[in-house]
Amino acid sequence: MTVPLRAPANQVSRKAITLWLLEALFGFVLLVGGSILAATWIGGSGWSWVPGWLSDNIWLLPVVVGVVMAPLVVIEPFWRYAVHRWELSGDVVYARAGWISREWVFVPVSRIQTVDKAQGWFERLLGLATVEIRTASYAGSSSIKGLDYAIAARLSEDLARRAEELRDDAT
Amino acid sequence: MAEGFAGAPPYGVAPVGVPSRLSPRVLLIDPVRMLPSLFLPLAGVLFVGGFSPASFGWAAMGIVGSIVFSVVRWATFTYQIVGGRLELTRSLVSRSVRTIPLERVRGVDISTPPLHRLLGLSVLRLDTGAHGGGDKQEGELNGVTVAEAERLKTVLLRTAKARRGEPAVLPQDVSRSFPGIPESRAEPGDPSGPLARPPAQEGGPGDREGQRAGDQAYGRPSVPFEGRAGVAEGGGVASSGAEEVVYARVSRGWLTYGPLSGAYLLTPFALIAGAVGLVFQWGEQLGLSRNQAWSAGMWLWERPYLLVVFVILFILAMPVAGGVMYAVFNWDFTLRARDGYLVAERGLINRRSVSLERRRVRGYEIVEGLAERWAGVMRVWAIVTGLGDSETRGQLLPVVPRAAALGVTTEAIGALGAPLRPHPPAARRRRLFRAIAPWLAVAVAGAVPALLTGPWEWWLPASLGLLLAVLGIPLGLDRYRSLGHTYDGTRLSVRSGSLRRSQAVVERRAVVGWTIRQTWFQRQAGVLTVIAGVGAGSGGYAALDVAESAGPVFAAEVTPDWLTPFLLTEPAAGTSRPE
Repeated sequence: MTVPLRAPANQVSRKAITLWLLEALFGFVLLVGGSILAATWIGGSGWSWVPGWLSDNIWLLPVVVGVVMAPLVVIEPFWRYAVHRWELSGDVVYARAGWISREWVFVPVSRIQTVDKAQGWFERLLGLATVEIRTASYAGSSSIKGLDYAIAARLSEDLARRAEELRDDAT
Repeated sequence: MAEGFAGAPPYGVAPVGVPSRLSPRVLLIDPVRMLPSLFLPLAGVLFVGGFSPASFGWAAMGIVGSIVFSVVRWATFTYQIVGGRLELTRSLVSRSVRTIPLERVRGVDISTPPLHRLLGLSVLRLDTGAHGGGDKQEGELNGVTVAEAERLKTVLLRTAKARRGEPAVLPQDVSRSFPGIPESRAEPGDPSGPLARPPAQEGGPGDREGQRAGDQAYGRPSVPFEGRAGVAEGGGVASSGAEEVVYARVSRGWLTYGPLSGAYLLTPFALIAGAVGLVFQWGEQLGLSRNQAWSAGMWLWERPYLLVVFVILFILAMPVAGGVMYAVFNWDFTLRARDGYLVAERGLINRRSVSLERRRVRGYEIVEGLAERWAGVMRVWAIVTGLGDSETRGQLLPVVPRAAALGVTTEAIGALGAPLRPHPPAARRRRLFRAIAPWLAVAVAGAVPALLTGPWEWWLPASLGLLLAVLGIPLGLDRYRSLGHTYDGTRLSVRSGSLRRSQAVVERRAVVGWTIRQTWFQRQAGVLTVIAGVGAGSGGYAALDVAESAGPVFAAEVTPDWLTPFLLTEPAAGTSRPE
């Protein structure tokens, strides 16, 4: 990677891999189920404008979707785990996220407006949490996913307190 | 639940020990509020079930379920003021705590919809000026008692003000609209207005008093009255020591530029659509049956030359009608500075006046369409923090010649003191590819069936795709030429777009954060997108396809404190220039 930015210091919790795996599996099941539905619908419709070779081989659709997506389901969590990192230093929150595409976000603590700590279903199961940091702009807002609950609690508490001390209402 | 707050507690000292809940009376409102969304499914269940006992059972279960949901939601939502923060805790399915620092509170809005009023409840909304999460972003307490709402408002506003250390909170935007022509006389500073009159008659005393009262009603410091009268006598320009400066008065000749912006060009079609709809809706009452309208349409259909004539007439009417509409809305556009506000006034029938607080103006955005660039004209919007509906309210200038636009923005806001830096050649390749490839794909996809089947009509989509692909070459090149970013020490600027080219110029202090994005394709090309998060205007201004090495350095150049610690290379002057 030649982007001249160093990686943020902290990794997210290892349990985040399980989280992303669960999420990816959930999406995978939905996608394959949906394509099976679509395939049976098209196959049994008997529409005249559907070419014969397509309706005869429509069962291939879910198979192709499954074969293409299955490796991604496994790859995505590990890839994300390698990319997702965060750091709070010099009163700036620096976070990196993504997998195929990636994103670096810099949020100075002095411009933070709200800090949310949220837990979805899977996160609650795994004892993880997401810290959502909001400023007056979407492009200066960040959410750090897959943190240990205790770390997330401490980070959001620190950020809220520090943001209060540093308040800078230029916006 | 709020014993400690009846007095006047100093801020941040009196945390309420126990989190409060919304009033339980809100449970009477919730199911009623859900009824409309439940109605269709319930009706569906009843119909499908043929109104059998079982279907009634299902419907009853749906209703009971929604009531239980409301109760659980009410029981799991609490709020609390702790040490200068308002914390909203929700632990229904997922647990979330929203923390709002009180000094961020810009306003507290209490409203009482009809149902709430019946039960003595109200909705309290906090305006924190935050964007990005939609309405969800702001704190909302839906269903507190009126007394509690008043108490909270007092506490919140007092605390917020004290913590901010501000004497008073001025409204950041005052928007007035004069519904009729006669009232537009109330603006004495504009003798060249639609009802130009000799200065001697300018505005009766009643008018002036009304205007002043209006100003005070909007919480704006009242303007020195003599100063404004002096303006009127001085012939429209600040000449007698008034603090009013007229930056721009758009001359009527410039109204002809209007159609170039593409605004209101579809007016004729909107009119004809409205007329057709009206005929179909009210035709019966007017003694015009549906059949007659239908046969009139058929009669027209059988005479295609008439249709062609109509279409040509409409196309000819487009710029004319568009121009007329534009002129009506932008008649005598005036931009002036008064009392720390930038005041833009416009309109012939409905004279609209928008005041933008100057200390909240953070920059401006220049927009030019293709036709406008050809004619050398442009439009300008102000980038203002905390301004809702900025598309209509933030307009600084309608379509005016480039020199005039730049002159006004320089004088009223400030100039950009650095040329735009070009983006790397990879950006040109990407622009070209994106302008050409989709249409080329259409052409190929169209050519396949055309080759397989015989008739020449099949070549139409293919050739259309090919034509658009060829047009994509100049488009892509121009889109690349438009790209640019720069920083002059106080303001940063980014530009992009071709058919609608827009350049944003934003003060450094408005930047609240940075997002740098790189898609897989961008990584292959060695470029990335740098988005400056700005707490004003559209929220973010992106420099597309900056060189990979230059992007983070550009962000570090604007806000060195924030980014240099994370840079791998030391930024030096000029390094952000691409090869």
